[in-house]
Amino acid sequence: MTCTRRELLECCAAFGALTLAASIPLTAVATEWDEAEKKRQPTPFCELGPFYKREAPNTSVLRAPNDPGMPLAISGLVYDTRGDVVPDAKVEIWQTDYLGHYDNEGYRYRAVLNPGTKASYAVDSVMPGHYPDRVCQHVHYLVSAPGHKPLITQLYFATDPVFEGDPDKNYKRDPLITSRELVRPVVIKGDPKQIIAAVNFDVVLETL
Amino acid sequence: MRALTAVSFLSFCAVVVAQPSKPIMRVQLPCESRYQALSPTGTQVAVHCKDHSVRLVDVPEGIQQRVFPAEQRANSFAYSPDGSWLAVGNDDGTVEVVPSKGTGPSKRWNADTRRVDTVYFFPDAKAIVVGPVDHPAQVWEVTDTPTLRATLPFDFGGLIACAISPDGKLLVTAGDDTVIRWYDTATWRKMREYRGFLLETFALAFSPDGKQVLAGGADARITVLDSATAKEVRQLPQESGSYIVGIDVLGSTQRAATAYLDGAGVKPPHELVWDLTTATSLPVKADTPLTCGRVIGSRLWVCSADRTTLTMSPYE
Repeated sequence: MTCTRRELLECCAAFGALTLAASIPLTAVATEWDEAEKKRQPTPFCELGPFYKREAPNTSVLRAPNDPGMPLAISGLVYDTRGDVVPDAKVEIWQTDYLGHYDNEGYRYRAVLNPGTKASYAVDSVMPGHYPDRVCQHVHYLVSAPGHKPLITQLYFATDPVFEGDPDKNYKRDPLITSRELVRPVVIKGDPKQIIAAVNFDVVLETL
Repeated sequence: MRALTAVSFLSFCAVVVAQPSKPIMRVQLPCESRYQALSPTGTQVAVHCKDHSVRLVDVPEGIQQRVFPAEQRANSFAYSPDGSWLAVGNDDGTVEVVPSKGTGPSKRWNADTRRVDTVYFFPDAKAIVVGPVDHPAQVWEVTDTPTLRATLPFDFGGLIACAISPDGKLLVTAGDDTVIRWYDTATWRKMREYRGFLLETFALAFSPDGKQVLAGGADARITVLDSATAKEVRQLPQESGSYIVGIDVLGSTQRAATAYLDGAGVKPPHELVWDLTTATSLPVKADTPLTCGRVIGSRLWVCSADRTTLTMSPYE
């Protein structure tokens, strides 16, 4: 059985294993403890470009019908380092098509997402391709929100053949991947006729 | 090095022109190398070795003057305009300024916590611009104890490219945020900005009279900006499927050598010389892939490297 820090604290107090000074209410201590438990580390930086493009369309559907490549569903939440969700964030993402080509003349596979008050986002795309000057498949992120430092990072996929099934050991094969945390597990969903690679990528912003 | 090597490639890419002529210099290389950077006087070349070390080699003697070992993780380089100093930006956020010849004392300091992607000398070599990745650009006075003179912020990200006007009074920067900004180098006040680009700018250059700024990048075309107003003057034709990584004006002429990379990163660099008055271009033809180039005076020098030799040729 597992319990939260608050439950543990309450149990300890109830059974006399913890004595609190009279001036510190148990609820205040528990709240402090909960806050500490919620805290999150900021999402690591990973460089911007090249090929960021401003004014991408507001859309969560990047994959057009019959687009070649493995369908990819990315979802996540936007947090701050206290562990609270960040309302009114703006998530800009961009990636190559399945062959590793960026669309610089138009806006294919580029989007602005507005997670709103729930701070959740989801996007339908395709698994980006490899290209000669980069080792791993990746999706670029620029996440901004009032009162927070803009986050520039990239999402990588644990299924990338470059990792040979062991991203813990091999993630540094791409010199731009500075943190294992950016390599996310991929869950295969759907039915045999329509397989979808699903990835969760929560991002954590630092306050200004 | 940035993704797709575009930005760091700025310093080392082939910037080339017109018809090839006979090679007139051959230099023995100390290592196998993909990219090199010619000094402004053409008397030295910084050789990027495949083992990640960087070696300064005199031209044409082939004498190795200095080695930056791979462990230093040197990431960006720039010669001073007179070629006597070399600034090096390292992965650990330090910057080093060393004499390009001899074993004279160097200066090394912690400029930032992030990798330094850009270093750029002022004309008098007494100050340099330092661009750490994802952090504001910095201006350092290079004294015995280097001093931070200014911090130049962006909406987000860091510095990609910069240029200083011929009279030294203006610094123009291009940031990850796609904005071009002009700064007064006496006060470091931002004078104006241009927000017309949707994509990143990877190369900047002033026209010889300082009245215009040439900007090129992911949109694969040179955009001419009026330096006094930050307004767009005109755009030259686009090289579809590629992007610009270097612009170098040929002396006091109205011609600019412009280096392009293939957008898919497959083909070697190709080069055009643009006539800015007619908006027409000439391709540079070369028998072997070019690995470096630089305008020295008003003449373009280009080079290509095989395993052991660097061959340099002038282009008229």
